[in-house]
Amino acid sequence: MAKNTSSSAFRKIDIDQYNEDNFKEDEAEQSVPTGPDEGEVCALLNQARYVEALKHVLDNAPLGSSDQQVKDNALSLTLKVLIAVKSAQIEEVVGNLSLDDIDILMKYIYRGFEYPSEGSSGHLLLWHEKAFNVGGAGSIVRVLSDRLKV
Amino acid sequence: MSATLKPYLTAVRHTLASAMCLEHFSSQVVERYNKPEVEVGTSKELLLNPVIISRNANEKVLIESSINSIRISIMIKQADEIEKILCKKFMRFMMMRAENFIVLRRKPVDGYHISFLITNFHTEQMYKHKLVDFVIYFMEEIDKEISEMKLAVNARARICSEEFLKRF
Repeated sequence: MAKNTSSSAFRKIDIDQYNEDNFKEDEAEQSVPTGPDEGEVCALLNQARYVEALKHVLDNAPLGSSDQQVKDNALSLTLKVLIAVKSAQIEEVVGNLSLDDIDILMKYIYRGFEYPSEGSSGHLLLWHEKAFNVGGAGSIVRVLSDRLKV
Repeated sequence: MSATLKPYLTAVRHTLASAMCLEHFSSQVVERYNKPEVEVGTSKELLLNPVIISRNANEKVLIESSINSIRISIMIKQADEIEKILCKKFMRFMMMRAENFIVLRRKPVDGYHISFLITNFHTEQMYKHKLVDFVIYFMEEIDKEISEMKLAVNARARICSEEFLKRF
């Protein structure tokens, strides 16, 4: 028999979570790259080979990795590369990237905006402008909708 | 200083134009309702990744979008105490009259000074590019407005104190 109770805690239970057709994040357990190699990127930067350094970090971006630490390391390394490139060279560097790389670059630019430091935002705004000129609105939409975050 | 203003506004404009693809979407929880999904947040599949665009640590825009609504939150730069007070009063003045601005939200999102909520009904009734223009124009004008008010307050204070000290 049901018992009388003055407790109203049951009203707070979220019954919708037991729905069968609830949306669940698909857990993509793919083999994800472990992030870019810091030593190699620094070496490329020291030789002023910015295009190769940027390609290296973008190709090895830990997309869909569940380890936040790995992502943060990759982000700081990418920001280092982005800031190392001088304003006049940005257009040339962006022109050498493939469209897939532009999409990942756009994700990093937006991530970089979240941690504004002295002068970094102004530089990232330039990167955003140049990347938009090549990638168009599509690259921004892919940043908004892609579940594989950087 | 104004060197970064133009790229900042362009970046916000492009992001807004890309994010503002809204359509009617019936609530999954309550029948025959259309709730702004970015506000209720009942399901993660309807929300897009929020993005931030920053000019420096004190000036940024947070853009959260979803299938039928988009929320834009603006952090306005405040250099000193008087700008803080002016900004607070001015934002309060506008948010009390939010229905006259149509897209203004009555409360800002935590950590920001003013928020807009644009739903699919707004994009159906108004031109999308004009809505984007409005947000950009607002961002341009608000800085100007606050610095003008600051000058006016200072000038008035100077005249008042002059008049007062004439007696001695």
